Amino acid sequence: MIIVKNLKRHYGTGKTTVKALQGVSFEIKKGEFVAIMGASGSGKTTLLRILALLDNATNGEYTIQGLEVANLPEEERCYYRLTQVGYIFQDYALINEMSSAENVYVLSMMEGKSKKEAYETALEALDKVGLKDKHARIPDELSGGEKQRVAIARAIAKKPDILFADEPCANLDTANSKQVLDVFKELNEKFGQTIVMITHELWHTKYVDRVITLEDGKLVSDERKRKL
Amino acid sequence: MIHDIRVGALIAYSSIKRGNKKTLAFIVFVLSLIFVNLVFLPSMIGGMTGLFTGMMQDYPYGDIVIEPTGDNTYINNADNVLKKVRAVNGVRAVTKRLIAGASIEHKQKVVGVTVTGLLPTEEHEISKYPYIISEGDFLGELSRDEIIIGAMIAGTGFGSEIYDNLGEVRAGSLVDVTYSNGVKKTYKVKGIMTGTLELVDLNALVHYKEIEDVYGLEGSKATSIVARIDKQGTEDEMKDKIRDVGVKEPVFTWADKSESLIKQAMQSLGAIDYMSKFVSLIIGAALILIIIYINILNRKKEIGILKAVGITPRSIVLSYAFLSMFYVSFGILAGLVLYFSLMFYFQANPVVFYETMEIIPAIDNLLLIQNTLTMLILSVIAGILPAWSVSKESILEAIWGR
Repeated sequence: MIIVKNLKRHYGTGKTTVKALQGVSFEIKKGEFVAIMGASGSGKTTLLRILALLDNATNGEYTIQGLEVANLPEEERCYYRLTQVGYIFQDYALINEMSSAENVYVLSMMEGKSKKEAYETALEALDKVGLKDKHARIPDELSGGEKQRVAIARAIAKKPDILFADEPCANLDTANSKQVLDVFKELNEKFGQTIVMITHELWHTKYVDRVITLEDGKLVSDERKRKL
Repeated sequence: MIHDIRVGALIAYSSIKRGNKKTLAFIVFVLSLIFVNLVFLPSMIGGMTGLFTGMMQDYPYGDIVIEPTGDNTYINNADNVLKKVRAVNGVRAVTKRLIAGASIEHKQKVVGVTVTGLLPTEEHEISKYPYIISEGDFLGELSRDEIIIGAMIAGTGFGSEIYDNLGEVRAGSLVDVTYSNGVKKTYKVKGIMTGTLELVDLNALVHYKEIEDVYGLEGSKATSIVARIDKQGTEDEMKDKIRDVGVKEPVFTWADKSESLIKQAMQSLGAIDYMSKFVSLIIGAALILIIIYINILNRKKEIGILKAVGITPRSIVLSYAFLSMFYVSFGILAGLVLYFSLMFYFQANPVVFYETMEIIPAIDNLLLIQNTLTMLILSVIAGILPAWSVSKESILEAIWGR
């Protein structure tokens, strides 16, 4: 599903060059729930952003579902982000002036669904994360855990092939983190959703199938936790 | 594209519905002031133009004026022309006038003037001359050896300090008038007229017969035939009708004549009007751009997020165009309320110019439509430009500033 070969990302030039990724290679199969771990500055977020087409690699190849996405023009990258991947931000990244439902269904409308269809899709997604009854609330009226679940609903409503999550529990307490991870687990187990998640917390790894560890921009371990 | 429009509209709608209402009110208020700035001064200038052109109708030209052909000094057989013009349907009143150059002397003070010979009774229907007598009386049908003098040359009216004057001539004073043909006559001042317009107050009026006698004119001659019509705005149509009844002399509307006479004044006002509009437009455009740009900069992260989740830059740009159009539309509405409030105030309390000239601002619908459209177009540009610029930034730059 995802094939990454010798991926490099350098920021800046000359002496000030920061080598965020120094030739990372791995493959992720469909339906895997993968955790990416590593210390701060190890290149996890850079890797995830490149895979989610939010950033570009300096060098290397990466294909998603057999499609070489590195050099896609921006319009196609945008379409790819809309239809193929879901991205969950550490800080939820919800639009504050939109209700929970609007935050979700704006993407369905972008895909071309009618307002009614888009709204139903949003309610379905919010129901999956247990927030159907709070569809009319704006982000400021939700707790941190609820905001993150709305962000998950937004990411899964379009039924993406892959879900990328950048430390989705970083701002949540243990109870809320558990709720979020339970949603991921259910999506993965019930719907076969491929999930790539960055985390710092070791206890989160009990939810995943595989843990990739980065250090100074290099892949240092790739551990499968259970057979799929 | 239709999806982009729908999504753009949804983003804009949410932003308006749940955005900060105080900020919205402030933006609308500033935009309303920009709109008023665009339309207020032109309205005042329009009022001033209306005042001047109205004076052209009220004194020298009426609605329609007929003048001698070619280099002729006089219209020959003016009574015949009057008869033809009177027969035209839509002509309310018509009269003939004789104009002559002269100098007036009083206690060794001499002032050059234009003396208009007119038929006093007919002038009541034609001009405002009979109604602007500030001292004494207007001429009568039997007025001979009597003269009406403008306040500025009499030395009693506003503007006397600027122009040469006879020094406190009053009704009842005697003045000597020397016409351009050398004939000198002594007149008793029957009245002083105050029109607060140089064209009136620097001149003198006598009975038509006086000029006729002084110049020895026979066969009913006139230097102009002045007509008033029933319906304002139909001057061109009436001009054609007058030609159609066989009047061979050149026929002009007051606008034709005013154009040449006060063209310079109007051009000056027009230049001021044009410059004020241009400057207001630049200021307006800059302010709209600044307001919308700051608004967009505050939402840079939001734009990055929208892009990151797959919303097209086109939708984002459209959403800001809609948002900007909404702000400006409300700004225009508020501006119209403010503008009409000001107009009603100034119509009730006109700006006094030259002490007696009251300038009532003119409400020009075309001007309002032009400026409304201009502001709407500006709003679209002001919304699109910064949003387009931000939407072109990388997602990382927009969300995380790097």
